[in-house]
Amino acid sequence: MVFVAGRIAAAIPVLALVLIIVFLLVRAIPGDPAVVLLGPGATREQIAALRDQLRLDLPAPQQFLEYVAALARGDFGLSLKNGEPVLREILLRLPATIELTLMAMFVAVLVGVPLGVICATRANGPLDHLLRLVSLVGVSIPAFLLALLLQLIFASYLGWLPVSGRTSALVTEAPITGFAVLDAMLRGDGAAARSALAHLVLPCAVLAAFLAATLGRYVRNSMLEILGEDFVRTARAKGMTRPRVIYVHALRNALLPAVTILGLKSAEMLGGAILTETIFAWPGIGRYMFEAIRNRDFPVIQGTTLVFALIYVMTSLAVDFIHGALDPRVRRKML
Amino acid sequence: MSITRRQLAPAVALPFIAAKAFAQGTNPARTLVVAVPSDAVGLEPGTNRAEPIGSEIILNVFDTLVAWTPPEFSALEGRLAKSWTISSDGRSFEFELRDGVMFHDGTALDAAAVKFSLERTRAMNPFAQASFNLINEIAVVSPRVVRIVLKEPYPAFMSILAQPQSAIVSPAAVARLGDQFAANPVGTGPFIFRSRQADTNIVLEANAQYFRGAPKLDRLVYRIIPNASTRRLELENGGVDIIQQAGQLAAIPAETIQALRNNRNISIIEVPSQIIRQLEFNNNKTTGPIADIRVRRAIMHAIDYDGLLQGVFGNTADRVYGPLTSNSWAFNPKIRDLAPKYDPALARRLLAEAGIRPGSLTLPLYTFQGALWGAVATFVQANLADVGINVTIQQTEFPALRALHTSGNFDVALDGRQPWYNDPDAHITIGYLSSLADTAMTFRFPKDDALDAQILKAQQTVSMEERKALYFKLQEDILARAPGAFLFSPKLIVFARANIRGLVINSAPPLNEYWGVSKQ
Amino acid sequence: MHGMGGLAHFLRSNRMASFGIVLLGLILIAVLVGPIFYEVSPTRLNILKRLAPPGPDFWLGTDSLGRDVLARLLHGGRVTLVVGCSVVALAFAVGVTIGMISGFAGGWLDWFIMRLADAMLSFPSLVLAIALAAAFGPSLENAMLAVAITLMPQFARVARGQAVSVSVKPYVEAAVTLGLPRGRILLRYVFANGVGPLLVQATLALGAAILQTASLGFLGLGAQPPAAEWGADVSINLDFVRSAPWVALAPGAGILLTVMAFNLIGDGLAEWMDPRRRAVI
Repeated sequence: MVFVAGRIAAAIPVLALVLIIVFLLVRAIPGDPAVVLLGPGATREQIAALRDQLRLDLPAPQQFLEYVAALARGDFGLSLKNGEPVLREILLRLPATIELTLMAMFVAVLVGVPLGVICATRANGPLDHLLRLVSLVGVSIPAFLLALLLQLIFASYLGWLPVSGRTSALVTEAPITGFAVLDAMLRGDGAAARSALAHLVLPCAVLAAFLAATLGRYVRNSMLEILGEDFVRTARAKGMTRPRVIYVHALRNALLPAVTILGLKSAEMLGGAILTETIFAWPGIGRYMFEAIRNRDFPVIQGTTLVFALIYVMTSLAVDFIHGALDPRVRRKML
Repeated sequence: MSITRRQLAPAVALPFIAAKAFAQGTNPARTLVVAVPSDAVGLEPGTNRAEPIGSEIILNVFDTLVAWTPPEFSALEGRLAKSWTISSDGRSFEFELRDGVMFHDGTALDAAAVKFSLERTRAMNPFAQASFNLINEIAVVSPRVVRIVLKEPYPAFMSILAQPQSAIVSPAAVARLGDQFAANPVGTGPFIFRSRQADTNIVLEANAQYFRGAPKLDRLVYRIIPNASTRRLELENGGVDIIQQAGQLAAIPAETIQALRNNRNISIIEVPSQIIRQLEFNNNKTTGPIADIRVRRAIMHAIDYDGLLQGVFGNTADRVYGPLTSNSWAFNPKIRDLAPKYDPALARRLLAEAGIRPGSLTLPLYTFQGALWGAVATFVQANLADVGINVTIQQTEFPALRALHTSGNFDVALDGRQPWYNDPDAHITIGYLSSLADTAMTFRFPKDDALDAQILKAQQTVSMEERKALYFKLQEDILARAPGAFLFSPKLIVFARANIRGLVINSAPPLNEYWGVSKQ
Repeated sequence: MHGMGGLAHFLRSNRMASFGIVLLGLILIAVLVGPIFYEVSPTRLNILKRLAPPGPDFWLGTDSLGRDVLARLLHGGRVTLVVGCSVVALAFAVGVTIGMISGFAGGWLDWFIMRLADAMLSFPSLVLAIALAAAFGPSLENAMLAVAITLMPQFARVARGQAVSVSVKPYVEAAVTLGLPRGRILLRYVFANGVGPLLVQATLALGAAILQTASLGFLGLGAQPPAAEWGADVSINLDFVRSAPWVALAPGAGILLTVMAFNLIGDGLAEWMDPRRRAVI
C-alpha cells in the first residue's frame, strides 16, 4: 500500500509539470487561431472580437488556471476547426489507436521474446548474428520507410492486403465499441471481421517491427546476463539440464526487465503511431494530433498531447506496480 | 463522459439487430466510393467556410435556390426556385419556389424555410458575413414566393445563392436537433446523410423521393485518405472509385496522370479552374527593395512561366496572365499581351536601374508546406538566382503563413487565391480593395481611392456589359501596379474508375454533384 | 580502463561492432570524399530530364525536379551526419551538465530537475519533437534543436545516476573534506568514472537523433528546400514512388544504413563495457 501510494504521489508533480509544458508549448506555436477560424476577408475588428471571445488575450497565468480548472471538470475545450468538444473527438479516435497499438504489442511479444531466446541460446553463432542483424534493421529503419515498402510490396505489387484504412469502404455501420474487429464480430459478420483484421496487418507490422526488435535485443541481453550469473552456473554444475536452466531460470528472470521495456516502449510507440496513422489513413489520435498542429487547432493539440503524456505516465505506473508485485526487492528499492 | 456511455450502452443489445441492417444495401455496383484527403470540417451550411470537402457534401445533401448549369457552369438555373425576377435597380430578388419539394424529414419546403436558412447563415457565419450582411430583409410573400432585398446592388449575389452557405435547411430539423443539426444534416438534396465516423468516412444514401428523380446510386461513401500515394494505390486496386481534386492539393499530379493514362481501368477528367497561384509582393510596404516598382517588375520578368507549366506541372496547370483566369467571363484578352514575359536580360537591366547589384539582394520567400509548393518555390528560386537575386525558401504551415500575411511581415510570398463563388468579384474585391489590405489572402494594396472606387463600382453595377468593361479596365490598372507574378492556375483533375458515368466537374468553385453519376 | 590493446581485442571479438565501424567508415568516405569526385550540384534543376532512371548521365537517376539523386544522396548524407553529431553533442553537453549538477547538488534542486526530466520523458519523443519544431518554426536548425531537447533528459538521468553513485565513493568524499572546489571534483572524478555509460548512451542517441530529425523532415518540419536532407527527400518524392521508386528509396536506404551503423557500434560498446553479456553456458 505504502508503495502504491508513494508511486502515485511521485506522479503528481510530474503531471503538473506536464500540464505546464503542454500549455506553454501550445502558446509558443505561431499562428493566430482567430485568423484561422475566420478565414479570408475577416477584418481586424472581427479578429479582435473573436480573440476576446476565445479569451486569448488574457494574461497567460490566468489562461492557465482557467485551463486547469476546465480540465478538472473534464472539459478539454472546443476544437477550433469544427466547434466540437475536444474530449469527445479524442474519445472517438482513441479506440482506433488502442486497437492498433495493443495488436502491435501482442505481435511484438509473440515475435520478440522467442527472437531474444533463440539469440541468447545461440549467442555469437551464425543464427544469432543473422537475427540480431534483422532486429537491428527493425530498430534502425524509419517508420515511414518501412510503411512505404510494405505498402508497395504487399498492397500494390502483390495485392494481398488492403492499402490503407480500417475497414472496407463497404462497411459503413456506426461503431459499437469503436474497435473494428470486435465490432464486426459482435455483429456476427465474419467477412467484415476478416477485412478489419486484414486492414490491421500492415500498420500493425510497422509499429510492431520496432517493438519486437527492441524486445528481442533486451531479452537476449538480460538472458545472457543471467546465464552468466553464479546461481545459474551452480545449477548447471549440479546437473540441471540446459533447457531447464534456460526456460525455468533464465527466461523467467529475463522477462522481468522485458515487462519494463514493453511498457515504456509501447507508450513511446504512440509517437510512431503519428507517422503510421497518417500513412495508413488510420483514424486514431496520432494523426488527429498532427493535423491539429497543421491547423493550429490549439485546444486539440493541448488535449492530444496531454492524453499522450497521461498514457505514458499511467503505463509507467502500471509497469512499476507489476514490477513491484513480481519482485519484492524492487518495492524496497523504489521507496 | 456521457458520450462514451452512449456509445458503449448498445454494445450489449445491438449485435443481432445490426447484423440484419448490414446484409442489405451494400451492393458494390451501386455504391460509389470517393477518396478525399481530409475529413469534412462540417456538414452544416450555416457555418460552412468554403472548405472543399464539407461544401461538396452539403451540395449533395442540400439544395440551393439556384445552381450553375452543367457542363459549362457559366449560367444559373433554378434548383429549388422554379423562376426568379431581379428588380431593375438590382437590389430586389424574387423567387418562386418549386411545388412539392420535401425535406428528408418529411416536412415541406416553403418560403419560410428559405428565409430561415439564409438568416441563420447570416447570423452564424463570419466567413460569409460580408456578403450576407448586404441583405436588408427577406420577405415571405406567400408560401411559395420569397423576396430578398439588398442594401445596395450586388450582382454577384445570385452566385452567392448557389453556394453551400446558402443551402436551404429543414427548419423543423433544426428546431428538433438544435446544436446536433451539424452532426445530422437534413436537407432536400439527392442524398440523405446516414453516418459519419471521424477521420474515416461519411456515408450518404440515395433520396428515392428526390424532386428531380432518384439518384442512380444507392450509396455514396466518402473515404478519408490523407496520403496521396495511398489514394492512388486504392484507386488502382479498386478500393475507391474516384480521387477528387487532385490538382489543387499539395501533390503534383503530372506523374500520376502519366502512369494512370496507361491504365484502362481509370479515366482522367481535366478541367480548367479559376484558382490562381501567384508570387505576391507585400504591396503595402513603403521601404525596402520591394517598394520599388522596378524591382517588382524585374521579378515578374525573371520567371520562366512556360518552363514552370511544362517542367514542374507537365501541363496540368494553365497560364495565368493577370488578376483573373482566362476562363472567366470578365477576362480581358489584352492582358495576354500586357502580362510580363520571361526576359531575364530585361530583369537584370531593371535591377541595375534600381541600383541593385547582382547577388546583393536576399529575399526570404514564404510559402505553404507540401511537395507542390516546395517544387514551385525551388523553381522560382532558380529563376531569381539567374538574375542575381538570392532567395531563401521558408515553407510554413498554413496558419503561420496567414499570420505572417496579416501582420505584413514579409516581402514576397507564394500564395493562392481560390474564389469561393463564381464571379470576378471573388478575385478582385478581396484581392485588391485597400480597406481589406490587412485581412488574410489579399495583395495588401496601399490606400488608393481611385482604384477602390473602381472596384466597388464594378462590384455593384447591374448591367452585365458595363460590369465587364469595368473589370477590363481594372485588370489593366491592377497589372500596371505590378502586384505580383501570376504563376499558374492548376487544372481540376479527377481520377475515376473507367466504369463511372455522368461525372461533370464544376470549375469554380470545384464541387461535384453525384445525382447523375452511375457505375456500370 | 581498457587500453589500445583492449580496443583491438574488442574489434576482433565483436564482429557486429566491426561491421558497424566498417559501414560507418564507408558512409563517411562516400559523403566526405564522394562529392569531390562526383562533381554534380545537388540543387541544380534540370526540368527537362525529370525522373530520369539511373544511367550513365545520372548514376542514380533524377528526382521530380530533375536534380541528380546521387548528388543529393551524398550531400544529404553530410547533412545527416552533421545533424546526428551536433544534436547529440548539444543534448550531451546540456543534459550531462544539468544531470551532474542535479546529482551532486541533491536536495530540492535535484528533485525539481528530475521531475522536469520525468515530465519531458512523459511525452513520446516524436510528439514532443513535433510540438517543439512547430513552435520554433520549420527549419533544419529548429528541428535539430527540438530533437536535442527531447534527448536531454535521458543524458541528464544517466549523468545524475553516475554523479550520485560516484559522489558517495570514499575518494570523492575525501576530496570534499579536503576542501577542493566542487566544480573540479565533479569534472575530475564524476565525469571520468561515469564516461563509459554516457558514451554508450551517446552512440545509441546518434541513431535516434538521425531517425527523429528525418521523421520531422518527412513531416515537413525540418530542412527547407532546396537543401538535400534524407527525410525530406523521401517525403517530397513519395508521390513518384510508383513510377520512380529509386528517388524516395535511395535517401530512405541512406537513413537506414547510417542509423544501423551507429546502433551496431553502440551495441558493441555496451557489450564491451558489460562482459557478462558475452558469456555463454
